[in-house]
Amino acid sequence: MALRITSVSILLGGKKLIRPFSLDIAAGETLTLMGASGAGKSTLLSFIAGDLDLPFTATGSVSLEGEALGALPPERRRIGRLFQDDLLFPHLTVGENLLFGMPRGPRAERLAKVDAALAEAGLDGFGDRPPHTLSGGQRARVALMRALAAKPRAMLLDEPFNKLDAELRQAMRDFVFRHIAMRRIPCLMVTHDVADVPQGGRVMLLRNGDVTDA
Amino acid sequence: MMSKAGAWPLALLWGLPLILSLAMLVPAVADGAAWLSLLAHPQLWPGLGLSLFTGAAAALLALALSLLLLAGLHGSAGWRWLEFASAAGLALPHLAFAIGFGFLIMPSGLLARLLAGGDAPPGWVSVQDPLGLSLTAALALKEVPFLVTAAFAALARGDRIRSLGLALRAAASLGHGKGSAWLRIMLPLLLHDLRWPLVIVFVYGATVVDMALVLGPTQPPTLAVVIWHALNDAAPEANRMGLAGTLLLTASLALVLAAAATLARLLRDAGRRALTAGPSRLRPPRRSAWLAGGLWLAVMASCLCLLLLLSAAPRWPYPALMPPVVNLQAWQTMAAAPAPLWLSLGLGLAASALAIALAVLWFETQPPSRDRWPMGLALLSLALPQLAIAGGQYRLFLDWGLAGTLPGLFLAHLTPVAAYVLIVLQGPYRAFDARYMAAARALSVAAPAAWARIKLPLLKAPLLTAAAIGFAVSIMQFVPAQLIAAGRFSTLPMEAVTLSSGGSRPLTAAFALALALPPLLGFLAAALLGRPRWR
Repeated sequence: MALRITSVSILLGGKKLIRPFSLDIAAGETLTLMGASGAGKSTLLSFIAGDLDLPFTATGSVSLEGEALGALPPERRRIGRLFQDDLLFPHLTVGENLLFGMPRGPRAERLAKVDAALAEAGLDGFGDRPPHTLSGGQRARVALMRALAAKPRAMLLDEPFNKLDAELRQAMRDFVFRHIAMRRIPCLMVTHDVADVPQGGRVMLLRNGDVTDA
Repeated sequence: MMSKAGAWPLALLWGLPLILSLAMLVPAVADGAAWLSLLAHPQLWPGLGLSLFTGAAAALLALALSLLLLAGLHGSAGWRWLEFASAAGLALPHLAFAIGFGFLIMPSGLLARLLAGGDAPPGWVSVQDPLGLSLTAALALKEVPFLVTAAFAALARGDRIRSLGLALRAAASLGHGKGSAWLRIMLPLLLHDLRWPLVIVFVYGATVVDMALVLGPTQPPTLAVVIWHALNDAAPEANRMGLAGTLLLTASLALVLAAAATLARLLRDAGRRALTAGPSRLRPPRRSAWLAGGLWLAVMASCLCLLLLLSAAPRWPYPALMPPVVNLQAWQTMAAAPAPLWLSLGLGLAASALAIALAVLWFETQPPSRDRWPMGLALLSLALPQLAIAGGQYRLFLDWGLAGTLPGLFLAHLTPVAAYVLIVLQGPYRAFDARYMAAARALSVAAPAAWARIKLPLLKAPLLTAAAIGFAVSIMQFVPAQLIAAGRFSTLPMEAVTLSSGGSRPLTAAFALALALPPLLGFLAAALLGRPRWR
C-alpha cells in the first residue's frame, strides 16, 4: 500500500507555485514536508485529496496502491485528512462523528466499533457528549479516530498539531503516529514546525517552489 | 454612547403601540356574544380548514423548493444567480405577484392560450378554486425568495461559510459524496436556522388577506377573509366577532405549530440515524435544481411581463398570444388620479427612514444585551397573524382618535417596517468592529464625526438594504392600512385589491406594476449604492 506522486506541479494563475517533483511514501511511513507559510503545502494536500480549488491548477499524477486517483472525486479516494482545526461536526455527538465516515453495516457492529475506537483514544463513555464539551486534546483525538474509522488507504495531515498547546502537542504527535503506523498506511504530513517530525521519519523541504530532500 | 433615553423613541413610537394593540385583543377572549356568533358562522370551520391547509402546504412546498435550489446549486455557478434572483424576488410584493399569477393561470390567461388553445377559454377552475390550490401555489412560489434569503443570511453569519467549506471537505475525506455531505452537514444547520422563517411563512400564508382576495376560494373563503370582512363591517358586533376570529385563528396556528414541533421531536431520532448511516456517494441534485430554478424564474418573470403587456392592452381577445392594440390609457388613468401612488411612496419613504433612525438610535445607545426586547417583539409581530395585530391596532387607534388620520396610517405602516428593519440590521450593526471607531477617536476625530465618516460608510450596505426592505414592506401593507385608513385614504394595495375583483384588467395590471416597481427600484438602488468602493 503506497502513495505515489509523479511529476506533480501546482500552478497559481499560470505561475508555478510548486515545480514538478515526484515521491513515494511506503505503507506505514510518515513523510514530512516542511516549508514556510504560503509555500503551497496545504494546496498540495488539496490536490492529492482531489479538492483543489480555483485559482490553483495542477499537473502530474497521484496513485494509491497502483490506482490512479486523478479521475476520482474526493469521496472515492479514501484518503483521510486531519486539518489544523479538528472540524468535528457540532450538530453530531462524539459517537455520531465517528459513525459519520464509518462504512455502512449492521448498526450494532458499527456502534461496537465506535466504543472500541473511543476506548483506544482513552475516551470511554464520551460517545454521547457533544463535541464542544471536550478539551482541545480530546477533540483532536476524536478527529483522528473519526478519520481512521472511515478505513482510509492513506492519510494527509495538514499541520494538525498547530493549534494545540505545547503540553498537548507531544502526546498528540505520539498518538497520531502510533495509530497510523499500526494501520500500515502511507501518510504525508505538512508542517512548518520541525518538532512535529516523527523520530527517524523522512523529511522533505518545499522552498521557493522546489521540493527537495532535507 | 450608552444612554437609557436613546431607547425611548423606539419604545414610544413602535413598541408601546404594538404591545397595546395586542393588549386590545384581551377583552375579546371573554366576549361571549362574539364567540357565539363566530361559532355559528357557517363559513368558520371550512374557512379555518382552508386557511390551515393553504398556509401549511405553501410553507412545505416553499421549503422543499428552496432546499432543492440550495442543495443543487451549492458550489456551482448557479449559487450567485440564486442569491441575486432571490433578492429580486423578495422585492416583488405578494399582491402584485398574485395579480400577475392570476393572469397567467386563469382560464383566459397566457398559460391557457399557450397550452389549451381553441376558440374559447377552457373550463379550468384555475383561479379561486375551492381547494385553494392556486393560492397555495402562488404563496409557495412567492415565499421561496424569503426562505432562500434567510438561508443565505444564516450561512453568511460569522465564519460559517469558511467553516462549512472545511466541514464539507472533511466529509468528503470520510467518503461522503457532495450530495450526501450536504444532506448531513448543511441541511441540519439550515433546517435549524429556517425554523422561524418557516413559522413566519406558515403564519403569513394561513392569514394572508390580499392574495386570498385575488386568488383564494370564495365559497367558502379562507378564515382570514371571513375575519377581514367582519372587521371591515360597519356593525360593531361584526367587528367583535372578527376579533374573536383572529384569536381563534391565532390559537389554531399555535396548535398546528405545537403539533409540528412535537412531530419534529418524534422524528429526531430517525433523523439522527440517517445522519450517521455511513458514507454514501449521493450527488447533489444539480439538474433538478436548474430545472426547478428555471421554471420558478420563468413564472416570476412571466408574471411581471404579463402585467406589463396587460397594462398596455385595452383588449386582448382569447386565444391571441399578443394584444392586437397597445396604448397607455390605463397608465394615463392612473396618472390622472395619482394620490394613492404618492401616498404609498410617501408612507414608504417616511416609515423606512424613521424605522432606520429608531433602530440606529437603539443600537448606538443600548447595550447588545438589551436587544432581546425589541428583537423578541419584532419576531413576535412577524410570527403573529397580521389580522390579530391589525385588529387590535384598529381598536386602539379608534380609542386614541387615530383611525382615519394620516398619523394613524403612518404608525400602522411603521409597525411592520420597524420590525423588519430591526431584524435585518441587528446582525451587521452589532457585528461592526468597534476598533474602527476607537482608531478614529485616537486620531482626534470627535464621536459624531467618526460615526459619520467611518461607521456610516462601512455600514452603508446593510443600512441601505434594511431601508429597501422597510420600503418594500411599507408599500405592500394592505390589512392594517385598509382598517386604519377607514375609507379616508387609499394606497396602492387598496386600489389594486379593489380593481382585481372585477375592475378593468389594464388598470389592475397598471396598479399591480406600480406596486411592484418602487420596491424593485429600491432594492436595485440599495444594491448599486451599497457596493463597497474598497473591494
